[in-house]
Order: sequence, then C-alpha cells, then structure tokens
Amino acid sequence: MMSWDAFVAAAGEGEEQIDRTHSWIWPEGYEIWFGGIASVMIFGLLYWKAGPLVKKAMAGRTQRVQDELDAAKQDEDDAVAEAARIRQAKGDIESERTRMLAQADERAAALLTDGRERLDREVDELEAKAVADIASAGSRSSDELRAEIARLAASAAERVVESSLDDATQQRLIEDFIANVGATTPAEQGASS
Amino acid sequence: MSPSNGGGDNRIDGYARALFEIARAEGTLDEVEDELFRFARSYESSEELRNALTDDAIPAARRQSIVEDLLDGKATPTTVQLVSLVVAGGRSRDLPAIIDRLVQRAASSKDAAVAEVRSAVALTSDQEDRLRAALANATGRNVNLKVVVDPAVLGGIVATVGDVVIDGTVRTHLDQLTSRL
Repeated sequence: MMSWDAFVAAAGEGEEQIDRTHSWIWPEGYEIWFGGIASVMIFGLLYWKAGPLVKKAMAGRTQRVQDELDAAKQDEDDAVAEAARIRQAKGDIESERTRMLAQADERAAALLTDGRERLDREVDELEAKAVADIASAGSRSSDELRAEIARLAASAAERVVESSLDDATQQRLIEDFIANVGATTPAEQGASS
Repeated sequence: MSPSNGGGDNRIDGYARALFEIARAEGTLDEVEDELFRFARSYESSEELRNALTDDAIPAARRQSIVEDLLDGKATPTTVQLVSLVVAGGRSRDLPAIIDRLVQRAASSKDAAVAEVRSAVALTSDQEDRLRAALANATGRNVNLKVVVDPAVLGGIVATVGDVVIDGTVRTHLDQLTSRL
C-alpha cells in the first residue's frame, strides 16, 4: 500500500494543476477546513433558522395526526353510539311490530265478532222478511183470489142479467123507475141525492 | 153533460148564447135544442165523428160537409146550420159544452131544469111525459127532459137534474154488487 507521503510525493512529481487536487479523492487541506467550517455554519444556520420551522412542521404534523386519531376515535364513538341506537331502534321496531301485530289481531277478532253478529242479524232479518213476505204473498194471493172470484161472479151475474133483460123486463124497469120517482117528494129527493 | 174548461168558458157561453138567440129567432128553439142535444151525445159517443170534426188537417169546408151529410134529413136546417157554424169556427171540441150550455139556457128561459135521462131502450112519448111529471114532482121544478139511449146502462134509467142524480139502472146495481163482493 502506498503511504500518504509517497502519495503526496508522487503527486508532486508532476506538473502542478490548479484545477486539480493532490488526491484523487480528498480535497486540499485548507478546503477541508474551510468546507468544514462552512458546513458547520450552514448547519448551525439551518438549525437556528429552519429548526423551529421543522419543529413547527413536525408539531403540526403531529397535531394533524393527533387530530386524525381524535377524529377516528370520535368516529368510532359515533359508530358505537349509532350501532347502539340502531340496536335500540331495532328493539323499538320489534316492540312496535309486536304491538301492531297484537293490535291487528285484536281488530281482526273484533271484525270477526262484528261480522258474525251482523250476519246473525241479517239472517234473522231475512228470515223475518221471508216470513212476512210469505204471509203477505198468502194474503195477497187470497185477496187476488177473492177479487178474481168477485170479478167472475160479477161477470157471470152481468151475463145472467143481460140474458134476462128482454123487452118486457126493460119496460118493467122503466115503469118501476117512473113510479118510484113519481112517489118521491122534493124533500126526500134532496135527502137521498 | 160535458163539463167546460175555465179558459174557454166565455167563448163557449158566447157561442151558446148566439145559437140560442138564432134558434129562438127562428121559432124552432125546442126542436133545435133537442136535435142539438142528440147530436152532442152522438158526438161524445163516436170517436170517429170526433176525430173527423177536430182534425185540423181536414179543411173546414170538408168538415162542414161531413156535418151536413150526417144530419141531412135527420135534423132541421137550422140545427144543421148551427152545428156547421160551430165546426167552421174551429170549435168542434167545444161542441158538447156549447150545446149543453144552450140547453141549460133554453131550460132557464122556460124556468125549467134540464133532466138528462139515460135509458137502455128508447122511451115512448107516454113514458117521457110521465117521467117528466115524476121528475118535476121529485125535484119541485119543471124539467126539460133530454133522453139519451145508452146501452151501457143495461136496463132501467138514470136521471140527472142539476146536481141530483136518480139512478135506477141495472149497471149501477151490478157495480154495487161487484163492490160488495
């Protein structure tokens, strides 16, 4: 291995190049000093000026993360609360369903009872009406029969009378009428008219 | 007798008065009113005659000739002319009412009441006289007898004097029998 001095000597053997260092990797010594000092200054300045900003940015980021964590926590709480509410609502719905079913059962039972009572009443009314109709029809038939008998009897009587009304009878009826009217006084006539 | 409607009362009275005065002036009142009365009853009982005399589609002259043909030789010329006058005046529908009013007027002029008598068969003159006397005795008024032969009464007589109806017809007795049955 080549020593440092040999290296420097070997380097010095050639023509000095101002745009080249003596080492293929290291800068010149003064450049290291100046560069080191400048680097320290730059880092100091960076720490002095940018440090608070970085801290602030980090604090902000931390705050944002914390906020997000808080929001997530809040969302979780809300979700839990919503789940509880949904469970409660589900329970309410279940109880409401039970109540409605019970109410429907009651109404159905009431309707059934009313329907049976109404049907019973209608059946009774129909029976009563049928009985009345039968009685009325019987009475009507009886009346019609009587009327028909009366009509036939009257018709028969009329035919008998017509056949018996010969000239002699007509004259006798006229003479009887004249005699009866002639025997009537005005007072009697006024009373009988 | 036919009832008159209120709206045409004045006109019916006017015609009745005119016919009455004409018949009285001619000196044939009794005969004319009797013929008119019979014509009125025929008019009431004959739907064909009513239709012929009240059909506006038939000219008045034709309706007058129907009357003249119908009464020719059966009534006095005065009666024919009076009926023809009413028909020509377009008052055929009021003929019975006009004639009834005329008959009442004629009876009133003689201080008598009109007695419309319906019988199934025609009465003899003797029967009419005795019936007139009987009705006069029964009503206390002189009566102007108007006999209508109406087979519908079957037998017996029904006499109407004003509002008084004396009914001795077989038809009425049969109707009463039917009602009782």
